[in-house]
This record gives sequence, structure tokens and C-alpha cells, in this order.
Amino acid sequence: MATNIAGRRYRTWYAMLLRLYPQPFRERFGEGMAQTFHDLCQERQGARRGLFGFALWIFCETLAGIVKENTTHMPQLGKTLLRVALGALAVLMAPLVASQFVQDWKWPVGAFVRVYFLFFATGMVFAMVAKRMGAWSYKAGVGVALLAGFALGWSNMVQVADSGNPANLTYYSVLVVGAVGACMARLKARGLALTLFAMAATLALIAVTLPSGAPPYLSRNMAIGHGVYTALFTASGLLFRHASFSGLSQTPE
Amino acid sequence: MGKKKTAQTPLTPAVLHVLLALSTGVRHGYGIMKQVEADSQGKVKMGPGTLYGSIARMTEAGLVQESDRRVDPEMDDERRIYYQLTGAGRTALEAELKRYRGVVAVAEGRLAHGH
Repeated sequence: MATNIAGRRYRTWYAMLLRLYPQPFRERFGEGMAQTFHDLCQERQGARRGLFGFALWIFCETLAGIVKENTTHMPQLGKTLLRVALGALAVLMAPLVASQFVQDWKWPVGAFVRVYFLFFATGMVFAMVAKRMGAWSYKAGVGVALLAGFALGWSNMVQVADSGNPANLTYYSVLVVGAVGACMARLKARGLALTLFAMAATLALIAVTLPSGAPPYLSRNMAIGHGVYTALFTASGLLFRHASFSGLSQTPE
Repeated sequence: MGKKKTAQTPLTPAVLHVLLALSTGVRHGYGIMKQVEADSQGKVKMGPGTLYGSIARMTEAGLVQESDRRVDPEMDDERRIYYQLTGAGRTALEAELKRYRGVVAVAEGRLAHGH
């Protein structure tokens, strides 16, 4: 009896899932797929085997089919957007699941939304730039810059959420410098090198202008943090500089 | 364009299994799945997403088509759609099996000579 109820529930959910297929595909195969799922459920129930694991597998497998069918006739930009959006969603699962188990991890919904956009933006930047990459040093420069930028944005957001101190928002100016510089440089290696050096300088300036008086352990940690990020941005700038001298990627391909 | 591409290039494992399953006769989705499972001695388990995605592309390429015949009276249902192999589908299956035989011959020859 309980299995019948579960079976009926899974069939209803499966029918809802099928709605995500493109309309022409759904109209043509939707009923057949629902019928096939019904047959498979009946077979499992007849063999007195559990439905949960089986239904989970079928749902994931069908979801993969849905993504494939939806992206088949989509323009390349749409495919990239969808892939990055789903990738960001998958990565978001890590903090989402962890927050259920870690006692003091209580982010409001808005924080998860901001984190999602951070993942999405980082992924999109990488996806768009990756297509145009030339020399290895250019690729490495983009990777290091994105990694450092993402880590800075993330840690800063956590700090603001935990401490509620709006002064931490000044660190976002480093990212703004990066975004504006990258646009002005039109992703050319020489311009990106200058942008990354400017980001490192902005961060160093923030470190210097911070009010003193923090406890020693906090000052030490902050100095280490500033040092690491400044070194990463500088390293990325040097990689772009190398790419611009090599001449392989003065202009992205 | 689709017909030529599917018939001439190596087939995907899913397409090959569906063609093989339909070579025994007209079948509906669940029947194809069961036949694929039996043909592969249980090693290949195809879900509805893969199966119907493959059928959509194979129909477009003219390898399979819907059939009006109802061959499973015990499981008959108006919603159940039956599929059958077309002439092009049979040709593609034969061509793929020939290609496999060629690959196997090369592999066996190479292994026999210890390369």
C-alpha cells in the first residue's frame, strides 16, 4: 500500500519533470516516457524492490536528457549561460548542504543568492575569456586573477555577514578596479597586466589606511591576508606581462 | 544531413543498442529497455532520458519510425508508442557491425603478435 502511494507520487513528480522538455519533444515523447516510467515502477513494485534509489536515478538521468534537449538548438551563448548557471548551482550545493550540518552557519536566503551570483559571475567571466585565450601565461593569469578575485569577494562577504561591519565593503573597490580595468583593456594582455598591478596597489593602499588598534592576533591575520592577495594579484599581473612580451596573446584570439 | 551523418559515422552506444533491440521486431519504450538489458547481459541499463533522446535523433535520421502494430496485448495501452527499424536503420546497424568486426580483427591480430 505504502509502495503504491510512493509509486503514484513518483509518477506525478516525473510527469512534472517532463514538462521541462522543449514543447515539441514533450508533445511527441512525453506520454511514452511517462508510460515507460510507469512500467518501470510497476516492475520494481512487482519484484518488491524499493523505489527511492531507482526513482532518484531515473530523475537524474531524465534531467540530463532535459538539459541536452534544451541546449541542442540553443545558440552558443545560451548554452554557455545554461551550463554556467547549472555549474554555479551545483557548486552552491556545497555551502547549502554544509549549512544544514554546521551549527553556527546560519546564512539568510539573500546571502545564498549573492553567493550564487558570485559563482555565476566568476564562471561566466572564465567561460567568455577562456574562448579567447592564447598563450599559457595568459590562461594562467586569468586563472590566478579569477581565483584571487573570487576568494577576496567571498571572504569579504562572509566578513560583512558575520561582523556586520560595512567598512569591509571597501575591499569591493579592488574588484571594481579589476572589472573597469579589464573592460578598458579589452582583455588585452598588456592592459590586464596594468589592471592587476592596480588591483594589488589598491589592496595595499587599503591595508595601509586601515585604522590601527586591532588586537595583535587579528592584525597578524589581516597582514597575512593582505599579503597573500596582493601577491596573487601581482603574480597574475606578471603573467599577463609575460604574455604581452611573448606577443602570443597581445590580442586575445 | 542527419541521415548521412548518423548512418556513416560510428554510432553511439545508445543508438547501437536501440537498433540492435529493434532488429528483433517492433517494440515500445519499456520493451526496448528490457531488450537492451537482455542483449547486454544486464550490463547496459538505459533510462527514459537516454532512450527517448536517442529515438528522437534516430527518427530524425530515418533509422527508426513509429509503428501502428500492437504486439504486446498484455501491456497494451493507448499511450504506448511502438517503434520499428527502417531499411536505413538496418543498413546502419549492418555497417556498424561490419566496422566492429574490422576493429576486432585488427585488435586480435595486434594482440596475437604482442604489439
